[in-house]
Amino acid sequence: MSGPSVMVGAGRMRCVDLHAIAHGAPVVLAPEARAAMAANVAAAPEGPSILEQKRRWLLGEQAEGLHADALARAFVLSHCAGVGDPLPVPAVRATMAARALALSQGLSGCRPEAAEVLLAMLNEGVHPTVPGQGSVGAAGDLAPMAHIARVACGYAGPQPGLPAFSPTGKEALSLINGVSLTTALAAIAVVRARRVLRAAVAACAMTMETVGAEFGCIDPRPLAARGHPGAQVVGAQLRALLARSEEVSTNRRPDAFSIRCAPGVLGAALEVLDHVELVVERELNGVSDNPLLFSGEAGADAVWIEAGNIHGARVSLAMDQLKIAMVQVATISERRTYRLTYGQLTPGLPSFLVPGTGLNSGFMLAQYTAASLASECKTLSHPASVDTIPTVQHHEDHNSMGPIAARTALRVLECVADIVAIEALLAAQGLDLRVQGRSWSDDGAPVQEEPVILAPGIEALRQTVRARVPFWEDDGVLHPALHAVGSMLRDGSLDGSQLGGW
Amino acid sequence: MRDAPHAPVSVDGHSLDLDTVARVARQGGVVQLDQQARARMLRSYAWVKAAGRRDDPVYGVNTGFGSLARVRIQAADASRLSTNLVRSHAAGVGPDLPDDVVRAMMLLRANALAKGVSGCRPRLVETLLAMLNAGICPVVPSQGSCGSSGDLAPLAHLALAIVEGDHGRVRVGGMECTAADAMAAARIPRLRLEAKDGLALTNGAQLTTALAVLAGHDARRLVLAAELAAAMSIEALEGATRAFHPAVHALRPYAGARATAANLRTLMRGSTLVDRVPGKVQDAYSLRCTPQVVGAARDALAFALDQVQVEVNAATDNPVILLDADTAEGGYETPADNKAFSAGLFHGEPVGIAMDVLKIAVSEIASLSERRLYRLTTGNLSQRLPPALAHRDRPELGMMLPHASAAALVSENKLLCHPSSVDSIPTCEDQEDHVAMSTTAARMAAEVVSNARKVVAIELFAVSRALAFRQAEGPQVRLGAGSGEACELVRATISSLGPDALPSEVIAALDRDISEGAFDEVTDDLWAVGTAP
Repeated sequence: MSGPSVMVGAGRMRCVDLHAIAHGAPVVLAPEARAAMAANVAAAPEGPSILEQKRRWLLGEQAEGLHADALARAFVLSHCAGVGDPLPVPAVRATMAARALALSQGLSGCRPEAAEVLLAMLNEGVHPTVPGQGSVGAAGDLAPMAHIARVACGYAGPQPGLPAFSPTGKEALSLINGVSLTTALAAIAVVRARRVLRAAVAACAMTMETVGAEFGCIDPRPLAARGHPGAQVVGAQLRALLARSEEVSTNRRPDAFSIRCAPGVLGAALEVLDHVELVVERELNGVSDNPLLFSGEAGADAVWIEAGNIHGARVSLAMDQLKIAMVQVATISERRTYRLTYGQLTPGLPSFLVPGTGLNSGFMLAQYTAASLASECKTLSHPASVDTIPTVQHHEDHNSMGPIAARTALRVLECVADIVAIEALLAAQGLDLRVQGRSWSDDGAPVQEEPVILAPGIEALRQTVRARVPFWEDDGVLHPALHAVGSMLRDGSLDGSQLGGW
Repeated sequence: MRDAPHAPVSVDGHSLDLDTVARVARQGGVVQLDQQARARMLRSYAWVKAAGRRDDPVYGVNTGFGSLARVRIQAADASRLSTNLVRSHAAGVGPDLPDDVVRAMMLLRANALAKGVSGCRPRLVETLLAMLNAGICPVVPSQGSCGSSGDLAPLAHLALAIVEGDHGRVRVGGMECTAADAMAAARIPRLRLEAKDGLALTNGAQLTTALAVLAGHDARRLVLAAELAAAMSIEALEGATRAFHPAVHALRPYAGARATAANLRTLMRGSTLVDRVPGKVQDAYSLRCTPQVVGAARDALAFALDQVQVEVNAATDNPVILLDADTAEGGYETPADNKAFSAGLFHGEPVGIAMDVLKIAVSEIASLSERRLYRLTTGNLSQRLPPALAHRDRPELGMMLPHASAAALVSENKLLCHPSSVDSIPTCEDQEDHVAMSTTAARMAAEVVSNARKVVAIELFAVSRALAFRQAEGPQVRLGAGSGEACELVRATISSLGPDALPSEVIAALDRDISEGAFDEVTDDLWAVGTAP
């Protein structure tokens, strides 16, 4: 376990908190959540268990005479129908935490033990194998959640360090009946998207310094005149990173769209991301379960209310929005990378950013890789939420496909991370040539010029890249360089946030 | 599965077929360079060796690459040019490709070079083939190729393993190590590249084609498994067989539909379950229109397989060295002594479009299968089968959740079927201003096939149970000849997993059965129906 504990059920959980749990932070159930759960389950009305009623309703009279434990066991194991490659451990951890958080709201009719067993699994590092495919994201992420519940309930055998947990009442249902996989993946996607977007702004600033961009596109006045807040935030961050730049200045030729329109494009993505984060955090802190147990008014008995809180439409739509927004970040970064490799479009820089091109191909293929990834994003950003296929005997006749939206959003983000890493790597190479005072005439002949002194923010970013990847005088193997910068981007060390502004 | 010993595969640039590539990729077998092909390679190699000293430019031999073809390279730098190409082009990212794909890629590259028009030494091919024989599999990242000018980055990663130096990594028996160590242990000398070697190793869409061969091979098996599952479901749902009568399909004579209809009749022959519901004249589309839907997929798949078959034995290099071509053909005056023809044989478009077609076809097979599953598990649609096919005397939800998993897979396929070949992003200073994106198309096609196979596996799981309910009516119930045999195979797999197997474990086992050809004995001669005129 690593990092400080995260309290579950003590106020609003943020996506970053869930991300921390996904990556190993220990968890504690808040005392007030424990009390709320205990009070809620104590108020449950007498009568046949909800699980028994549900089964009878689904399948007729087959539940008669079954022992409650056998019924719960059969119920969970029947749902273990996931397919495909197992989810990575952080996704499984985030899903368990998201489920515990939903139960901790104290409306599911579950004992505190139902949440505590999930939290114990997180703290003891018990990570069930959960197939990644097989949920339509309505009636909850039933199959994946059941693979977790199977371990939580001890049906996969005893687990060292875990309390014995035997579900009663509605607990077996509550453990699986919610879109916690979708929500968990969505929260991870939000955190990763923010890192990638910040890095994309940093890489854009590096490119602007490399090519000596015209300042007007980040001047606050035109950005304010249009009024989109995202563009203004991105513009401010670009100005912060480029502060005291001698290369980016006014009264130059307007730049190509991939530079000039970057605040508007990256800002549009930022606004979508802000919105998506709000939606995901609302879902994360809401109760996705059915039915819910509400205490009666004025001394009346508590009542079960059947509703549709198990449908994943809201997060499904948000994930489709997120991935589409991030594809814009990808495609505009790729076009800046293209310019950086294109000798005639970057006065003073050699084709493919290395001296001696011809014998050297330099960073030619890095741009191919970026183009390939950008194209892959286009296929993957086809929305998932537009589809629905009826299931369960006409009853679940509209489904969200939320987990598919979330999983493909994560795939898109992996592509975008590498695309932005490529821009940062190439911009660092271009900046180095500027710093060395090396220039090339239009016909490719080397010319010595005055070394450039970079803006402090850009110099810091250049050095961040150089800490892991050397300058290229001659061709080397690109893959390790791409991998190194890609890792920095994914762990957040290249997002420029340490330089202020965000 | 039958594992008859196979004769060594002779690689000659002309005679590989898809099944052979798939077999070498997945099961091994000895591969060797054909001696005539070797002689052809030596001739074109001799020409290139001399061309490096020519005054006129020969692309990639005495020039830079891509837009850098404008830069001339001295003969003394030819080796460094090739080595730099391989290093700087190793720009792949993302998860590594599985061994079978890399092995197929190696065999296909060797075969393309064996045509003898690339001007490279036989040793390049012999090294690739020796690695295949020794089970040395280069580590190749899966992402980063535009499919034009070929799968440059993936092939460069492959080449790193072959070329002297510290860079390449390989897997041997699943364990990763440096190429230097593995090649030394297997006594395969690594190469110092010569003129054009770098281009010869990297210029062609062999990753696209490797993925396409395996996806095509798997898709063909999947079509037959889907027809088998359909026949079983039609029996379980007491369907009407007239929809599959040959006289019907003669009226709308698509080859695929006729084949599917004929197969269904063969598989269901002798069944007492079909045509037994008085007054029912026709079934729902998911049963009745199986020939139209699966047949259309067969036709599309046949197109895709034809394209891939051409590519498998094609030259994909640039330039190609044509020693015997008439340089004045058609009245064009081109230098008679320059045998290098720069052209576009590396462009992945033919296979890219084929893969986009293949994935759409395969997704429809799964989409239809999912609807049959829905009928099988839905009380009022299933001709009195129990809801969700659950046993009334056991606590279980039956096939309710496996069906939901099938629906999720079908939906995911819809997303992945968004075509890749429609996209293009200019690269290389506008020299390579239209690219194929065929590699993405092929990777997505492989994913769609894998998802679709799981859907059909779920149908087999469910229908084997549905048929058991029918068989419980009494000994007078007989299944069709093919359906009955397949049903026993499915049940044998399920019972081998024990009574406590999870639905997900059963699905995974049946998925494996289909991919490994467990139903080949039932369906073996049925593909031929589809390929007959």
